[in-house]
Amino acid sequence: MFIAEKVGKEWTMDQAPQYAIDHVANSKKNIFEFEFLNSLSEKISNFFGISSESLFYIDLGISKHVFLLFFVSFIVVSTIVTLIQGYISHKKNIPNKFMSIIEMFVIYLRDDVLKNFIGDKEYRSWAPLVYTIFFFVLFGNVLGLIPIFDLTGLIGKIGYKAEMLGKDNILYLLSKGGHTVTANVNVTFAIATITFVAFIAAGIQKYGFVQHWKNLAPSGLPWPLYFVVVPIEFMGLFIRPLALTLRLAGNMMGGHIALIIFITFIFSATAELGGLAGFGIAPFSISLALGLTMLELLVAVIQAYVFALLTAVFIGMAIHVDH
Amino acid sequence: MNPLLTPELGTYVWSLVIFMTVLFVLRKYAWNPLLDFLEEREKDIAESLKMAESAKTDLEQIKDESEKILNEAKKEGKAIVGDSKLRAEESAAKILNDAKAKSNEFLDDAKSKIEIEKKRAIKEIKEEVVDLSLELATKVLQRNVKDDDNSKFIKSSLEAVKVDEAKS
Repeated sequence: MFIAEKVGKEWTMDQAPQYAIDHVANSKKNIFEFEFLNSLSEKISNFFGISSESLFYIDLGISKHVFLLFFVSFIVVSTIVTLIQGYISHKKNIPNKFMSIIEMFVIYLRDDVLKNFIGDKEYRSWAPLVYTIFFFVLFGNVLGLIPIFDLTGLIGKIGYKAEMLGKDNILYLLSKGGHTVTANVNVTFAIATITFVAFIAAGIQKYGFVQHWKNLAPSGLPWPLYFVVVPIEFMGLFIRPLALTLRLAGNMMGGHIALIIFITFIFSATAELGGLAGFGIAPFSISLALGLTMLELLVAVIQAYVFALLTAVFIGMAIHVDH
Repeated sequence: MNPLLTPELGTYVWSLVIFMTVLFVLRKYAWNPLLDFLEEREKDIAESLKMAESAKTDLEQIKDESEKILNEAKKEGKAIVGDSKLRAEESAAKILNDAKAKSNEFLDDAKSKIEIEKKRAIKEIKEEVVDLSLELATKVLQRNVKDDDNSKFIKSSLEAVKVDEAKS
């Protein structure tokens, strides 16, 4: 069969995992090249003594995920600032549809999370951080579910084949790599780092530098126990942001990989068993993918909430040391 | 190395920078104004609820007071009506009594006047009778009548006088 032959040429079943991983991971190549960014990367890396071959080379070039970060932050800032400023300046007490969703989250987080875990008085200084984490992660998660860049990739591919666009056209390059910033461990680790700094800062602000570190272990234990408790608590301090990092990235990665694998069933069946099998399996795979996308929407909200909640909990733990 | 777990320090640095910028912008232009706005609105709501509550109690108080006043007015009105009724009755009775006394007085007066008039009339009649008797006597004397005729005449004349007296 024609379709089977065509697919079979480009696709073999064992390609599927790599295909799925490529669909989640960052682009291997920077999609925008800026000379000053390259030289800046080199300078900073040299300052820290990192060679360009090293795994830890600080490449400040605009990769797919960095571009997506700009994209997500642009959408977050423009949406939220427009809605909130519009809502406040009108002095109408009735929010519109989108604003009422934001207000619902804001009020819920304030009453059930911030006031509950951080405290009625202290919550105001930490609320912007928790809200920003929630909405940034939420928008990152949800925008990752919308296949905008698959579309641009398709346009780019067609344009390239039709010799309308150059080989390295942006539209095609944009389709390379994952669409979900929050599936990148580096991004989630950065946000977790901010959480980490925030809860240490909250403790130091409340108790002073020395007392904050003393709060790490409960007082009044028999002294030999401190040899056990202090290392455990100290490890816990670093495990918290790591857990945040892997939880969010893992959830996002997992969902997207499963989604892609379900879709590749069609190609695999076509390549191995013929076009008819591909057609036969398509409804099954697409309905699975559809169901999973619905589930992913739910996960997107839940993971954003969990990240924000845990940030509030950690800050609260640093402020309210109850021993 | 698995591409999903590769450290990309560039992406990490960019994430930090972008997130901090977003945090800064949203904090200034979204979260703090929104939280202030919500707080103000909640305060407003709480205040208006309080005001409504106090207005309600005020209204109840006013209602109670007005009812009290109304009741008092009713009582007073009743008292006034009762009082005036009593007074009216009293004055009516007095007027009636006065009238009765006056009429009695008039009656007594009239009676006594009648008595006097009667007495005078009788006196006059008596005088008339005497005059008539005298006249009769003279007539009798001038006329030549028999004795018994004479006595008969005198008798009848006297009877007539008696009848007249009785009639008056």
